[in-house]
Amino acid sequence: MSATSLYVDRASPIHRLDPRSTLALVTALFVAGYTFDDPRYAAVPLTVAFLALVAVGGWRNFRRLSPIVAALFVVGLVVWPAFTQPGGRVLLDLGPITLSQREVLFALGRSERIAVFVVGGLLFVTTTSNEELVRGMRQLGVPYAFCFAVGTALRLFPTFLEAATTVKQAQEARGLDLTEGGVIARLRRSVPLLVPVFMTAFRNVNTQSMALEARGFDTRSERSFYGSSPLAARDWVVVVVAFIVVVAVVGLRLAGFGTL
Amino acid sequence: MTDRDEGVATRLRDVVFSYDREASLPDPNETDSDATDSAGRDAAVLRGVDLDVPTGSFTVIMGASGGGKSTLLRTLNGLIPDFITGSFAGEVEVLGRDATATRVSELATDVGMVLQDYESQLFGTSVTAEVAFGPENLAVPPAAIDDRIDDALALAGLSDLDRRREPAALSGGQKQRLVFAGVAAMRPDLLVLDEPTSDLDPSGTRRLLSAVGRLAGGRLDRVDAVDQPETVAPDDDDRTADAVAWAGPETVVMVTHKIEEALLADHAILLEDGRVSRAGPAREVFTDTAALRASRVAIPPLVAAFDEAGVPTADLPLTPAEAVDVAAAHGLSWTPPAYIGDDGPATEASATSVPAETGETLGDPCFELENVVFAYETDRGPKRAVDEVSLTIRTGEVVALVGHNGSGKTTLAKHLNGLHAPDAGHVRYDGREVTDYSMSAIGRDVGYVFQNPDHQLFADTVREEVEFGPQNFGISGEALDQRVSQALETVELTELADADPFALSRGQRQRVALAGILATDPAVIVFDEPTTGLDATQRDRFMRLVAELNRTTGLTVVAITHSMETVARYAPRTVVLEDGQVAYDGSTRRLFADRDRLDAHALQPPHVVDASNRLAAARDLPNALPALSVTELAAGLGGGDA
Repeated sequence: MSATSLYVDRASPIHRLDPRSTLALVTALFVAGYTFDDPRYAAVPLTVAFLALVAVGGWRNFRRLSPIVAALFVVGLVVWPAFTQPGGRVLLDLGPITLSQREVLFALGRSERIAVFVVGGLLFVTTTSNEELVRGMRQLGVPYAFCFAVGTALRLFPTFLEAATTVKQAQEARGLDLTEGGVIARLRRSVPLLVPVFMTAFRNVNTQSMALEARGFDTRSERSFYGSSPLAARDWVVVVVAFIVVVAVVGLRLAGFGTL
Repeated sequence: MTDRDEGVATRLRDVVFSYDREASLPDPNETDSDATDSAGRDAAVLRGVDLDVPTGSFTVIMGASGGGKSTLLRTLNGLIPDFITGSFAGEVEVLGRDATATRVSELATDVGMVLQDYESQLFGTSVTAEVAFGPENLAVPPAAIDDRIDDALALAGLSDLDRRREPAALSGGQKQRLVFAGVAAMRPDLLVLDEPTSDLDPSGTRRLLSAVGRLAGGRLDRVDAVDQPETVAPDDDDRTADAVAWAGPETVVMVTHKIEEALLADHAILLEDGRVSRAGPAREVFTDTAALRASRVAIPPLVAAFDEAGVPTADLPLTPAEAVDVAAAHGLSWTPPAYIGDDGPATEASATSVPAETGETLGDPCFELENVVFAYETDRGPKRAVDEVSLTIRTGEVVALVGHNGSGKTTLAKHLNGLHAPDAGHVRYDGREVTDYSMSAIGRDVGYVFQNPDHQLFADTVREEVEFGPQNFGISGEALDQRVSQALETVELTELADADPFALSRGQRQRVALAGILATDPAVIVFDEPTTGLDATQRDRFMRLVAELNRTTGLTVVAITHSMETVARYAPRTVVLEDGQVAYDGSTRRLFADRDRLDAHALQPPHVVDASNRLAAARDLPNALPALSVTELAAGLGGGDA
């Protein structure tokens, strides 16, 4: 369990789902989050996604990203009002700058919309291992070379971070001081950090591609997928529920619900 | 059987290779090999290799660091010339196929290859997925992969590992064995291993090698020497036909720098200047001291000792068990170098009892560790990597820090120069808490050599790289030049001072990193696996230099190592860590005299020690302490200067 990977190995109901069903579930959350302007409606998929994330052991992941989510709402309150018309009661009056109720609700809704993507995405990566992701994409018809590239990128990221930590320690031990001096001096001194990190990554990628071939990896030929199985009954249930949610959400929206 | 013994698994003829695409290749038949370009990679690495690997053999390839061993291996599965571009000429026939005209992924069906850098050979997010990866690529039906995973993990000695764990979070040694398992699961006919045990602890090494030996068809009687308790029969219960059908690869080819592990092979090939300088049955090659020396390969310690004691070449022993018989046959009587009682109390390292005479004069306490605790955050709560460790290290001492992969050695060592601060307890250097020093103040006194040189090399030339540390500590001008030159000379890199560090071989890069620390002239050096990737000559030279610095300048040395030979020769005191706690702290010689203790800590004594323990047992000398070096062993046998 590396400290840098987002996948959390648990046996929750969502973990047990086929990656394709998890994808359907998360997609339904995304659609539900994206469809409504009214924050009270968008709050529903956000809450569902959040509770699910906590239930599957993703609290630590959420905590890691929580500053981003918080920033989303704060910055959103400043930015989003520019994209709508004022309306309703004025909640804040600072002379030239006013903030009406409608603007605040709009900003909140939009921020929630993005938060659904963040939390829903977290829910997906918390419950879906790399192999499952690659397998799921492959089973949905995505070319294997592309699936593998995505999987590798996700996997390399933590390795990259770990290497960066070690490099920093190694250079500090050699007397590199990153805390003093101006911007230029600091930039200059970042060379001993950046070069090893990138060279290590480069060397790794080089060895890795050799090792891949040596293990018979070939995007052109047939391969099998260990641990793949047809969709189980529960997977189908989730897919059907996700579909119903999407239809219901679109229907509600067309009927005029959730607008501002 | 005859067909197997007479067959040739791999045949190379006139193989010439340079990593430079536009290189003018040397004539493979031109024996004058003086045309070596000192920049290493511009010159041809292989300069006319002719070799045969007999089918059914366990063949070991040895030679100097940077001498083309890894390059040679890469021709065996088509990585050269299919994948790595360069200038190539010659014939390579592998298992009856023309390897120069076959794609790597095609050859992978029959040729399994474990490359050197295990970190970048892990592809899965779980142990299971990792081992399944190769079989998946070969389109093995998922149902048959289960058995392969079980077998491969058992072979690699990883049956107890939680299979859902992420490979990235495993210890170095576990990763290395996992890579091996991933390749073994592909069930190749030819298994090629490039330093497969470089980062393994002694018990991990033993398990892996006994697996290799077993895979090589159980034909190797000498494997018994390492194959100890935890033998795992890979097909001991109900298996599908697929599992039972595979009895291991017919042929194994391994590159290694560790002479004692090379002795397990039955066929040996020595490389020198990009050519095969000696090949033949392992016994013949490893008793040919002249050929070994010329190829910069360590002479097997027992061969060296018995040679010194006057035993004729034909009778020289390779293993400790043989040593007892040979001694008896030649009427050599064993006189131990010391007995329990005349080396001081058991808890204290006795300086005079170490052959290299390191750590003789001990000064004031240099490091004082008091109930040090350090924990890592994990998904399942904090895990204590260092658990209540108390130690005192005195100025001028040479201490070996040994223990399993993942026992907390590196984590503990990083407290010595402030890279880690203890969660609880105290780490004092020179009477002051390490955390009270600035990073550069402690760094100036305590040099730390990291395991992987690539984590610190960044400069355009070797010289600039070595200058970096001393410059940071404010040294300049003539003093700087002198230190840098001296450091480069020490690690034999003077000629490569202007070379690009990134173009050097792994062993050479390691030496650059070492020189970078030596040039800062520290009072203490902490080594994390100081000799990985160095060949026998370099390792010897390097350790002798460290010993000399210790004797002449009182350099304090803390060395994390899996090399029991290094421990025996240079460290009077050994600290064994287990699960973050000190399991033994005391005299190295005492530790090596105690078979039960060694077993309890899963430590494998070096051949010299093992042989002298067996000789003492044969003479019924219960209080005898073992020899720690070839010289001591030879002296005790009545040879050498004694």
